[in-house]
Amino acid sequence: MSERRRLNAARDALRHQKEWFAGLRADAERGRRVALVNADAPQEILRAMDVPYVVNQWWASIISAKRMSGRYLAELRSRGLPDDVEQYSALPLAEALAPSGDDAPWGGLPRPSVVLAECTGDSMRRMFALWESELGVPFLPLESSAAESVPERWWELMRHDWEMAIGSARVDLLREELEAAVPRLEELTGGTFDRHRLARVMDLSNEQAEWNRRTRDLLARAPGCPVAVNDVIPAVMIPQWHRGTEWAVQAARSLYEEVRGEVDAGRSVVPVERRRLMWIGRGLWFDMDFYRSFEESHGAVFVWSMYLALAADAYARYGDDPLRALAARFCAFRDQMYTPPWSVEWYVKEARTHRVDGVVHLVSSDSRSSWFTTRALEAAGVPVIEIRADNADGRSLDPGELHRRVGRWIESLG
Amino acid sequence: MTVPQLETRDAARLLDAVHDDRGAPAREWAAAGRPVVGYVGADTPVELVTAAGALPVRLAGRPGRDASRARTYLEGAVDPQVVNILAGLLDPGETSPDLVLITHESDASLQLFLTLRELRRTGVEALPPVHLLDLLHLPSKATARYNLGRVRRLADQMGAWRGRAIAADELEEAVEAHNRARAARAELTRRRATCLTGAECLRWYAAGTAMPPGRYADTLTEALRSVTGTPPATPRGRRLFVSGSEQDTADVYDALESRGWLVVGDDHSWGDGGHQPLLAAGGIEALTEHYTRAVLPVTGRDARRRAAIAAAGVLRSGAEVFLCYSRRYDDVHRWDFPGQRAAVGVPAALLRDQPYARADLAELAAGIGDPQKQVTS
Ligand code: SF4
Ligand code: SF4
Repeated sequence: MSERRRLNAARDALRHQKEWFAGLRADAERGRRVALVNADAPQEILRAMDVPYVVNQWWASIISAKRMSGRYLAELRSRGLPDDVEQYSALPLAEALAPSGDDAPWGGLPRPSVVLAECTGDSMRRMFALWESELGVPFLPLESSAAESVPERWWELMRHDWEMAIGSARVDLLREELEAAVPRLEELTGGTFDRHRLARVMDLSNEQAEWNRRTRDLLARAPGCPVAVNDVIPAVMIPQWHRGTEWAVQAARSLYEEVRGEVDAGRSVVPVERRRLMWIGRGLWFDMDFYRSFEESHGAVFVWSMYLALAADAYARYGDDPLRALAARFCAFRDQMYTPPWSVEWYVKEARTHRVDGVVHLVSSDSRSSWFTTRALEAAGVPVIEIRADNADGRSLDPGELHRRVGRWIESLG
Repeated sequence: MTVPQLETRDAARLLDAVHDDRGAPAREWAAAGRPVVGYVGADTPVELVTAAGALPVRLAGRPGRDASRARTYLEGAVDPQVVNILAGLLDPGETSPDLVLITHESDASLQLFLTLRELRRTGVEALPPVHLLDLLHLPSKATARYNLGRVRRLADQMGAWRGRAIAADELEEAVEAHNRARAARAELTRRRATCLTGAECLRWYAAGTAMPPGRYADTLTEALRSVTGTPPATPRGRRLFVSGSEQDTADVYDALESRGWLVVGDDHSWGDGGHQPLLAAGGIEALTEHYTRAVLPVTGRDARRRAAIAAAGVLRSGAEVFLCYSRRYDDVHRWDFPGQRAAVGVPAALLRDQPYARADLAELAAGIGDPQKQVTS
C-alpha cells in the first residue's frame, strides 16, 4: 500500500497557523489589542478594522489537542458553573479563568479586549457574559434570529438572492446591530472601520468561497476520491479563519490546484474504490484516523465532510452594500446546516452529487433534527448508519467497537 | 361578557379543575364553534389571539404522557417538558388546537417549532398550522424594530387566519380583558403566602393560561374571597423559594410540600414570575414594547438581573431556603445559580438534571436538610 502523503495545502496551512499565532502573541505583548470572536459571528467586521482576532472554536480545538480541556473545565466546575454544557465553546473562557501556567497551549491566548458572539441557544449569552463579569472583557452580543418559513434549495439562492432566501427582516436586524457595534468596537480595539476595506474583504472572501466550490465540485465529479478527508479539513478550515485576506484566497486556490493535479494524474486514495462514504456531523477530533481505517480493509473512502461543502456553498454573498452582504452571510448561517428543511435537503443534494454509497451520521446530544436528516437520506435511497457520541469527547465511544460496527455496515451495503 | 354568579367555593374548585384538565375550557369554547390557539412562550402576545376571536391556551406537558414518539423526532438535548408538549400535539385526543403559536422563548421552543414545521411539510404527522413569533430580547433599538415587524406580521397572520383584519377596538377590548386577568393575578401573588400552599397557588395561576381572560379574572377574584383569612391547608412548612425551570403542573410543588416544604414564592413564568405590568393602550407598538421589555423570558434576562429577581423574591416571600430546580437539558439556570446563591442571603440548593414533573427530594434533603425531620424532631 502506498504511504500516506499529506496534502501540501494541509501542511502549509498548519505551518502558517503556527506562525500567524506566534506573530499575534508577539503583537499582543507589545500592546496591540486582540479580539475573540465566536465562529458564527461576523469576524469580517474586525478584519475591516484591521484588528487581529482569534476564533473561539479554533482556539478550543488547540486546547483539546493539547489535552488541557480537563484542567481548564475544572475551573468552571470550581466556580459552580456548568462544565458539561457547550463545553467546547467554553474552553477558551475556562482557560482565561484558570491560573495561567507555563504549559498553556501555544503559549496561551492573549487576553482579548473584546468578545463578540451571537446569542445562539440558551447558553452562549451566559457563557460570553462571564468574560465581562469575571474578567472585565467587554462582551458584544448579537441576536440569533429565526425564520418562520424558508424556501428550499438555499444553496442556489444564497450567493445572489440571499435577500429572498433569508428575508429582509433578519438581514436588516444584523446589519443594524453591526452598524451600532462599530463605534464600540473602534473604541475597544483602537481600530478604524473602513467601508471600502470591508468591500475588499467581502470580495476576497467570496473569491475564496469560489475556489472552495471548484474544489468541492471537482471532488464530487472525480472518478475516484484523490484526497483524504482528514487532510481536506485543515486545508479548508485554517484559511477559513483568515477569511478576507490575500493569503486565504491563495491557500484556497492552492488546495484547488493540488487536488486538480491529483485528479489529472488519475490518483485515488484507494486503488480500487468500492464504497464512497459521507460523514455527517462534526469531525471525530479524537480519532481522525477513523476516516482512513476502512480503505485497505474495505476499499471504502470518506469522500465528504461538511467542512469543505459549507465552505463551498454557505459563505459567498454578493451585493453592493458590503455590511448587508456580511449580515446575510451570518444571520442564517446555522440554519444552513442545522435547520430543516434547509439542512436536510442540502445533505441529500450533496450525497447525490458525490455519488455516495452510504452515510455515517454522527448524532451527538446537541444534534438538531437528526431524525429528519436520516429519514430524508433513506427516502432518497442512501443507506445511513447513526453513531451516537460526542465528537470532541473520546470517552463516549469505544473506538474498537465503533470500527467493527461501521465495518459490518459497510459490508452490508448492497 | 355576563358571567353567572359563582359561589366562592365553586370558583376555587373550578380553578383546580382547569389545572387538572386544561382542555376543558377549550372544549367548551370550541363547542360554540370558536377557534382555539395553543401557544408556547411566556412572551406570547395573547391579546392578538383574543382579538381574533380565539381562545389562547398555553400548552403544557402532562406527567405520564407517552412521549416516546415525540422523543424520536425531537431528539437530543431538549427540555423534556417541551418534548412532552410535542407528544400532546401528536396525540391531542379531543382538544386539538386549531393553530399553534410558538415564540423564540428558548432554544427548546425554537426546536419544537422547527420539528412541527418539518413534520407538517413532510406529511409525516397530521398537525394544525404552526406559526413562529421570533421575538428577541437584547436591549437594542435594532431588536425593538425587528420585534415590531414580527408582531405586525403576526397580527396580519391572525387576521388572515380568521378572514378579517384585527380592528383597533378588538385589540383594545382584548387588552382590557387580559389586563383584568393580570390585576386578579397580582392579587394572588400578594396573598399567596398567607392563605395558599405553593401548589394551590400554582394551580390557580395555571388555570389563567387556559381560560378566557375575563372569566378567569372573575373566577380568581371570587376564589380569593373563599380563602380570605384562612390559613393554608398545610399550615406548617419550611418556607422555600423556587427558581429555575418552568413548572407547568403542580406535581413538583405537591412533592415538595408533602415533604414539609412550603413554596412561598417562585420566579418562573407559570408562577409569580409570570407577573406582567398592565399593558398600556397604544396598539401594536405598545404591545410590542410590552412583550419585548416588560415580559422577559429567562433567556432574555442576564445573570445579574436573575440574581436581583431572586434576591427580591426571597425577601418579599420571607423564604428561608432558595432552590434552583433545573431540568435535564434546561441548563440555562445552571449558569445563573452561582450569582443567585451569592445574592439571596439564605441557604441555596441546586437540583440539576431533573426529570419532567419530578424532583429528587433525597438529594435536596442531603444538600439542605429535610424539613420533615426538623419539624418532628
Ligand atoms: S493570513 Fe494574511 S493577514 Fe493573516 S496572518 Fe497570514 S499574512 Fe497576516
Ligand atoms: S479604500 Fe483605500 S484605504 Fe480603504 S481599504 Fe481600499 S485601498 Fe485601503
